[in-house]
Amino acid sequence: MRYRTNPIDKTKLAQSLNNRRQEAAGPEHGLDASLSHNLQQIKQTLGYSADIVIREVRTGPDGNQAIALLYTDGLVDRQVIIGHMESLMLDTAPANNCGQESSVGASIASKLRQEVLKNAEIQDITTFDALYHALLSGDAVILIDGHAQGIAAGAKGWSDRGIMEPTTENVVRGPREGFTETIRTNTAMIRRKIKDPNLWLETKQIGNVTRTEIGIMYIKNIANDGIVKEVHTRLDRIKTDGILESGYIEEFIQDSTFTPFPTLYSTERPDVIAAELLEGKIAILVDGTPFVLVAPAPFVSFLHSAEDYYQRSDISSFIRILRYIGIFISLLGPSLYVSITTFHQEMLPTELLIGLAAQRERVPFPAFIEAIMMEVTFEILREAGIRMPKSIGSAVSIVGTLVIGQAAVEAGIISSVMVIVVSITAISSFVMPAYNVSIAFRMLRFPLMFLAASFGLFGIVVGIIALILHLCSLRTFGIPYMTPLGPLIPTDMKDTLFRLPHWMLTTRPRLLNQQNTKRGKQSQPKKSRQ
Amino acid sequence: MIRSTEKGMGMMIRRASAIVLILAMIMPLAGCWSRKELNQLAIAVGAGIDKKGDHYRLSIQVVDPGEVASKNGGANRAAATLFTAEAETVFEAARKMSRVAPRKIYFSHLRMFVIDEILAKEGIGPVLDFLSRDHEFRTDFYIVVTRDSTAEDVLKIMTPLEDIPANKLYFSLESSEKNWSPSLTVTLDELIQDMTLKGKQPVLTGLKITGDKKVGKTKRNIENIETYSKLQYSGLAVFKADKLIGWLNDTQSKGYNYIRGLVQSSVGHVPCENGGGNVVTEIIRTKTDMKGLIQKGQPLIKISVYIEGNVAEVSCSDLDLNKESSIFEIEKRDEESIKGFMLSAIKKTQEDFKVDTFGFGEAIRRTHPAFWKTIKEDWEERYFPELPVHITVDFKIRRLGTVNNSFLKDMEE
Repeated sequence: MRYRTNPIDKTKLAQSLNNRRQEAAGPEHGLDASLSHNLQQIKQTLGYSADIVIREVRTGPDGNQAIALLYTDGLVDRQVIIGHMESLMLDTAPANNCGQESSVGASIASKLRQEVLKNAEIQDITTFDALYHALLSGDAVILIDGHAQGIAAGAKGWSDRGIMEPTTENVVRGPREGFTETIRTNTAMIRRKIKDPNLWLETKQIGNVTRTEIGIMYIKNIANDGIVKEVHTRLDRIKTDGILESGYIEEFIQDSTFTPFPTLYSTERPDVIAAELLEGKIAILVDGTPFVLVAPAPFVSFLHSAEDYYQRSDISSFIRILRYIGIFISLLGPSLYVSITTFHQEMLPTELLIGLAAQRERVPFPAFIEAIMMEVTFEILREAGIRMPKSIGSAVSIVGTLVIGQAAVEAGIISSVMVIVVSITAISSFVMPAYNVSIAFRMLRFPLMFLAASFGLFGIVVGIIALILHLCSLRTFGIPYMTPLGPLIPTDMKDTLFRLPHWMLTTRPRLLNQQNTKRGKQSQPKKSRQ
Repeated sequence: MIRSTEKGMGMMIRRASAIVLILAMIMPLAGCWSRKELNQLAIAVGAGIDKKGDHYRLSIQVVDPGEVASKNGGANRAAATLFTAEAETVFEAARKMSRVAPRKIYFSHLRMFVIDEILAKEGIGPVLDFLSRDHEFRTDFYIVVTRDSTAEDVLKIMTPLEDIPANKLYFSLESSEKNWSPSLTVTLDELIQDMTLKGKQPVLTGLKITGDKKVGKTKRNIENIETYSKLQYSGLAVFKADKLIGWLNDTQSKGYNYIRGLVQSSVGHVPCENGGGNVVTEIIRTKTDMKGLIQKGQPLIKISVYIEGNVAEVSCSDLDLNKESSIFEIEKRDEESIKGFMLSAIKKTQEDFKVDTFGFGEAIRRTHPAFWKTIKEDWEERYFPELPVHITVDFKIRRLGTVNNSFLKDMEE
């Protein structure tokens, strides 16, 4: 679908949409010496977009040298642009004192580079491709007539959301800052936490239309070089037109697609990223989203919250156990209820059985249908709660409470125990710190309920065995997903099910680091090891 | 790379279809095979069995859950209902019950199994086989024998406090065994074990209806403070293998429980030295040690009972509890009284029943297994009726309660 129109035809402005797709000059095509030709070319390629500003000034020793300043409105800091303009007007005037330059344009360019644009980061541009990238990333581009090179001067400065408290991973104690949509802010936040020369940042551009900037951050001597290489290889393999969120990257580089479990960790907390980097993991930052990916991500890392490391170790361990219980309830709650009440009534105390039977007396549906109905209703409510405008939130929650809670019981559609089971299950699913894993368990609840309704506890056990087998077969960047439980690594158990005090966490996780596994000299309360 | 993805997709599809196929094959095999919704069950809590001619008459007390758990009094129905069926065998009777019962009878939560006295005299073996064979029965329900009434009648009596009569029987038997020694909880496995042992014969607690049976079966029974008719445990039924051969009265039952070491807590009294009152002791801990010995080629049983008790009630005016000697005196007379219970139980079984309900034979088997083999066959006919039993009772009074001497003593002065 490429249109070829006459590049000289100025009357066809109405076709500007089509002009964007036009390929008057190839991307590798070099800049022309003629300013007007270059500008014409740029306008054409950018489809005369309204936010591309082109200022032409005349300066030079005789006031005849044409210079153009190009920038994208909204992506640049106005103050900086005004500064650039002033510099161009005033300081380029007596330029012709360097005899060795081949032309007037070149001498102005070198003067601009060396003397005038002192405050800005500058970069030479020789191709249109580089020009567009600089222009559209928020740099100001200076083109000089008679000189086949341009100068890109840093002027980035767009409106930013600002650093706010992350909304997804809440902590009682711990830093309150969260990543923003700007990759530079995000890298700065990580740098502020780790001031080490070995913290490396490598960047890539992915998406041949969006040209999204991707940053790969790791600590050189701690991260496993093999995994770093693997991350690069997988990122380089991505062929797509656009990356709008780190979720795109995640799907492109994850180890297996057909699993409900995420094999990359994502967070919007810089402190979590810093901790993961210190363990030897690799952070993948994507411009335009506050969610930063971490690779590799074994299963247990999804069950740990940042706060586990900020509270006392005994409290954290207790809370972790609580979290595991929550996971079990959210996975098995309704299926256990269904299987016990329809297959294994002898397991209940007699009084409880009579109580449950009394509640089910007038319920027309089997327990399984009842459970499915309630679970689906709850999932709908939950989804509605996230999507709906905040202003009508209370209305939905009132309706939800009434529907799920009272009315359904009073109408005799469901039994009140079912409400308790579904509520406990729902609440338990929110104890998981990682949202994507809690979704995975919520999804798996349904097949387990089906197994429970067909085969009773036997079905549940088979389901759990299948689930464990599946989890053990997964890998994340070549590392078994269930480490350190899957292949049992006793030294890593200190921060898996429980969290031992920080002074005991002396080694980094195995498999992630082949080198530098010691966390360095740790201060020990009793006696310091020499 | 594209090729490998396609290959991966193919693998995935093949694997997914294999799973679907396996599921589809399993579903008709096992799917929902024994699924029973709670409201499709008739939860049996009590069962009774009578003998009518050559037919068994099975009565099942089934809970009406809506009535038990309803918040506002329900529809004024009884909390439980009774289904009966007659057939030549117990299992047939149970299945025949579906003609009268709207739901399938579910036996796993059975609390009480009541055996009719007449049936017990004929032998309970055939009935117990069904109970032990059927997978739905657990072995934790209690078995009792009716006295002077049919099992069906017992299950028809309405009870106060506990809505479900079988629950009343269950809890009442449990608490009676704990706090008042003449009753005994026997579960199916214990009963079958006792029936098969040579050196031990089973006993079951007796259950009788007191008062007006006719009113007892109506709601009127529980409308007044004093109920017209009650269910009451009374005595122990002595069995020879699976046949009822006689009853121990309450005193003998008490003695029986002391010998077996089953008393957890009980109450006993001895009269005052000078008459006109009693000293009542609450027994808080007992320990019985039964030993089988051989003396001059003859078996001999030695029983030593250690009892701890508190003074619970004193109505003697001349007893000075501050004196050590009077405590010793009470202890001594308590020892004699308890020894008397035990001896009367032994006498009754040795003379009237001639069956070893106490497990004396088992005690000898444990200490002298080789000797037991030689006398096993003649045990009940020859050795047991003549068996000498030596009993020593050690009674210790631990506490006197919140006062020392009774105020009755002060009143005299």
